Amino acid sequence: MSEERSGQQVLRAPFWQRLQSVDRRILYSLIFASVIIPVLWPLHLPTLVTPESRAFFNAVDSLPSGSVVLFPFDFWPSTLPETEPMAIAALRHCFRKNLRVVGLSNVGMGGPSIADRLLDSIGAEFHKSYGADYVNLGYKANYSAVMLGMGSRIADIFPADHRGTRLEDIPLMRQVPNYDSVKFVLIISDNAMTDYWVALVNARYGLPMVAGVTAIMAPKMLSYMHSRQLMGLLGGMKGAAEYEQLIGRPDKASRGMDAQSLIHFLIIVFIVLGNAGYFMSRRHRTRLGQV
Amino acid sequence: MIDWTSHPFFALLPTAFFTLAIFSFLYKDNPMFKLAEHVFAGLSAGYYFGLIYHSVIRQQVWVPLTQDGHWSVIIPGALGLLMFARFFPRIGWTTRLPLAFVIGSTAGIMFIQQLHGMVLPQVGRTVLPLDSVRNILIIAGVLTTLIYFYFSKPHAGPLGWVASAGIGFIMIAFGAHFGYTVMARVSLLIGRVQFLLVDWLGLAR
Amino acid sequence: MKTRLPVFVAFISGALMIIAFFGRGTVVDAVSEEALTWQTIVGGFALLLGAVSIVRVHWQKISTRHTDRYYSVGLLICFAVMAGSGVLFGIGGGTLFDHLFQRIQAPMMSTMFSVLAFFIASAAYRAFRARSVSSAILLLAAIVVMLGRIPMGQYVYHGLPAWADWIMTVPSMAVQRGILIGAALGAASMSLRIMLGIERTYLGRG
Repeated sequence: MSEERSGQQVLRAPFWQRLQSVDRRILYSLIFASVIIPVLWPLHLPTLVTPESRAFFNAVDSLPSGSVVLFPFDFWPSTLPETEPMAIAALRHCFRKNLRVVGLSNVGMGGPSIADRLLDSIGAEFHKSYGADYVNLGYKANYSAVMLGMGSRIADIFPADHRGTRLEDIPLMRQVPNYDSVKFVLIISDNAMTDYWVALVNARYGLPMVAGVTAIMAPKMLSYMHSRQLMGLLGGMKGAAEYEQLIGRPDKASRGMDAQSLIHFLIIVFIVLGNAGYFMSRRHRTRLGQV
Repeated sequence: MIDWTSHPFFALLPTAFFTLAIFSFLYKDNPMFKLAEHVFAGLSAGYYFGLIYHSVIRQQVWVPLTQDGHWSVIIPGALGLLMFARFFPRIGWTTRLPLAFVIGSTAGIMFIQQLHGMVLPQVGRTVLPLDSVRNILIIAGVLTTLIYFYFSKPHAGPLGWVASAGIGFIMIAFGAHFGYTVMARVSLLIGRVQFLLVDWLGLAR
Repeated sequence: MKTRLPVFVAFISGALMIIAFFGRGTVVDAVSEEALTWQTIVGGFALLLGAVSIVRVHWQKISTRHTDRYYSVGLLICFAVMAGSGVLFGIGGGTLFDHLFQRIQAPMMSTMFSVLAFFIASAAYRAFRARSVSSAILLLAAIVVMLGRIPMGQYVYHGLPAWADWIMTVPSMAVQRGILIGAALGAASMSLRIMLGIERTYLGRG
């Protein structure tokens, strides 16, 4: 095929080749549009709850009132859209059941600050008080030493909390000297910390635990669920949306699922178009005897 | 008098500015993106400095030493300071000592953790009764995957057939993993767009 | 001395951790507990080293009049403000340190990673081709999971969510377990090599 442009004959690529090389700015614009449209005009699509998310909910729901829950905020600020809704929903569930939360973080970049913000804001929703109902131990380096050291004496690893208050001056921590006083571990993580909590703490001390992880990590964590090292699992923004539905408080994750649906469709269309162009191109070259 | 700073548009303006500066990279590299990059790097380094000063130096070394009389913290404190010996060529080799201590201890913990906490439970739960298709497939999937990644012998003959079966399982798993990776990356974009349209501009509730 | 002493330290500290696992409540266990606390302190100084290194690199850029030195000036100013406010006024909620993190640093980090959504879509379009039976299986599994895990998927075909569940909990889980076991055995053998001094790359050159 050819066309004339400025007095010169220009060969125009066949349709199937153009199908494989759409300008990336068009692709990016379509992606932006498929996120913006459902945010502005929600579709309110229902979310199916997976067995893993239901198991997560049931594990937390079955804890007796007043139980101490260790709550590692082991995620980076880069994954907040996935992990923050999980953490918020989990804290709402814990505080609604009057569970006492001991927060900490093994992620230095922002973990303790994010833990502080979420514990204070959700704690205020349920009129919980710092020091009696929840505490933020903060961050200490070297996660394996932290996880093992807390098994003997938490105050050896965390002599004070994130705000600098000594542990013996915090009413909640006077009752939690080590893992013996902890009933449950509720991990929210976007990295290998979940593996270490499972392999170090669950394996050595037998503490039951559940994990909310990013979607990238969820496939691997299913192995731990099958081996009963984890009692429940939330995977990505969808897992957060399912949990919000189970606790009866739909929030940011639930609102994001409409956009998630549209973009998944769009990416599948991209894949189909790219492959259609590829196969048509191959067929054409076979006919010309070039393959 | 109107309190402009409490209105979400103005209160979140710096956040929105830097968000859009990062997004501008999608068009092409530009001074605004470079500025945002460097601001981020500076704040990150400063964050670590402030965090370690309070969490480690004050809470774990200074207060125990000066107020509680725990003289033993001098040893890890000194080891920590030795980390900075790398900036002085004559005594630079001493930086290996704290590194060796941390890496050696971590290696010891990892040795037990990997075997006791990962291999044993995972192998234990793979030993399943062969009374359902599901169990048979799980055992087959684990074994063929392990055999596929065994490269000390050429994949020929019966070993090759088993490795080929492993490829089938692995392709299904990688396809599923790709699907979840797309879900993860897309969620991050949705979060930022929600911030811009809902939290900052208030275009939706 | 410069190599043997660190290798000996690595061996002793690693062996201490392994023996403590088998000897709970003994003197070795008590010594290992103290060593765990020391690890958190030394690890903290290592992070501080990273922050100081960034400052050194950009200070050198300024002093050697590098093209991008003005950006490095901005970096050092931000570092000074953040570190200074943290040291002087604290790092808890409501401080300048916390505001800078929550309002500027964390959102920027989120945005940087959100850009990957565009790249993965572009890569899926340009590179994801069913060139062979294996890649076709991969493609099919990806499409089933991507559709089965979204609310719209059940409207495309009501059985998709169940298929996606099956893929995740049977073949995918089995493969992930195989990779987990292999990687764990590899990590355990690497740990042994470090303790025995066979693996010395962490010591650097010399």
